[in-house]
Amino acid sequence: MVNKAEILEILKGVIDPEIGINIVDLGLVYEIESTEESNKITMTLTTPGCPMHNSITGWVENIITQFEPDKKTIVNLVWEPRWTPDRMSPEAKQELAQRNY
Amino acid sequence: MNQTSTIASSYSPPFRIVSKYFIAAIISFVLLNLSLLLNHSDIVGHHFNPKILGITHIATLGWITMIIFGALFQLIPVVLEVKLFSEKLAEVQFWIYTVGAIGLIYCFWYFNTGKYMNISAILLNLAMFIFSFNIIMTFIRVKKWNITGLYLGAAIFYLIVTAVAGLLLAINLGSPFIKIDHLQYLNLHAHTAFIGWVSMVVMGVTFKLIPMFTLSHGYKLKFAIWAFIFINIGLLGINTIFHYQETNFLYYIFTPMISVGICLFLIQVYIIFKNRVRKKLDTGLRFSAYAYLMLVLTTILGTFIAFIDYQNIINLTLIYGYMIIFGFFSMLIVGQMYKIVPFLVWYHKYSGKVGIEKVPMLKEMFSEKIAQYGFYIMIIALFGSLFSLTFRNEFGLIASFSLMLLSSLIFSFNMTTIFRK
Repeated sequence: MVNKAEILEILKGVIDPEIGINIVDLGLVYEIESTEESNKITMTLTTPGCPMHNSITGWVENIITQFEPDKKTIVNLVWEPRWTPDRMSPEAKQELAQRNY
Repeated sequence: MNQTSTIASSYSPPFRIVSKYFIAAIISFVLLNLSLLLNHSDIVGHHFNPKILGITHIATLGWITMIIFGALFQLIPVVLEVKLFSEKLAEVQFWIYTVGAIGLIYCFWYFNTGKYMNISAILLNLAMFIFSFNIIMTFIRVKKWNITGLYLGAAIFYLIVTAVAGLLLAINLGSPFIKIDHLQYLNLHAHTAFIGWVSMVVMGVTFKLIPMFTLSHGYKLKFAIWAFIFINIGLLGINTIFHYQETNFLYYIFTPMISVGICLFLIQVYIIFKNRVRKKLDTGLRFSAYAYLMLVLTTILGTFIAFIDYQNIINLTLIYGYMIIFGFFSMLIVGQMYKIVPFLVWYHKYSGKVGIEKVPMLKEMFSEKIAQYGFYIMIIALFGSLFSLTFRNEFGLIASFSLMLLSSLIFSFNMTTIFRK
């Protein structure tokens, strides 16, 4: 069974294809609740109505299930509190400010 | 932390519907540039000339409106979180519209006024009414309205006004009946199309897409609201007073209102760009940013034209029209297509594979380097054309139109690459 820190590390494998930065460094993952039966990931997206909606949440589900196939993965997408750039890691901020795409 | 939404179902319509409109638009863009180059000798003098009317309608019906239809079928469901009312109607509309557009452009080209021109205009009206019905029925289902929805609602209204005015103009060419001067009515038709239909869509979509692509946060949309109020009062005012000779003095109030509205929109765009987290702009956003700068120049020129007797400076309308179609709309469309099309293809082909196998990043869907060349060539072609139109330099026109054609070919090559990915 993987712990919360490990789940967070696994989630770094989910990269926003438009921005090119993983969802953890973007600050999109709000909470991880791990029980015997399930892993519940509470997360947001940079903009409500984002067209990447289904792709990113589906990706989160797939990647966690790969590591814990016997447990249910629940992705809980929320818009409160709203995402702001302040939630990004310093590395992500720097990368976005400098990168040419 | 409130749970306000669970994973929503996909609202997007089938890819085949949207891609059909996009492919038709891309072909039209290349044809538009090819016709400009082949008929460069006709692109001088007064704008009321069969070839110019034909070419303008390849641009407006084939290139600009076709791409807006496709983009709106994709974007409205996403932006307003609602399913499109009817995919079947979107499909039927495409064929009626395409036949109507080809017919009308053919009739302008050979100045075949009368029955066939009227039938084509009726088909176009029918297609636009089907589109409006489909979108209004979709709007009825919307639970969460936003500023983009407001702009899109106004755009639909002006599309109908433009279409009906276009039909009346088509009939008037064969059997004159409009009491207002035909050219003045044409002016009204063109401005309702450009400011009402196309700009309302462009502006509304800007408030959603540009922050999304640049990760812009922490700003208010108050300029967007005021821009909407000013532009709409101005445009509705002009549409009304043109029909009543004695109210013509109000023109000098309503026209500046539109210019002020566009300035407010541009201030809002500036604020969005200023608050962005992604500092460096990719090719798609660079095209878009330059398009907004071109809108600054176009607005200055448009305001100037409104206060002078522009009919006496015969090249001025052509220069103004060229700036609107190529400087603002085409640059913006090309830029936004570099953002939207890779995403659409990616979404339909790879989104189901995420987390299961390695999928490409959006920037890997096409060659950014070739797109950059397309950008520089388009800028050179744009200013070259404006210079050559101003000084009526034939060699300059051939060179500039050739470069614009090259730029459109680069764009279509990149789009084809994405579609085949």
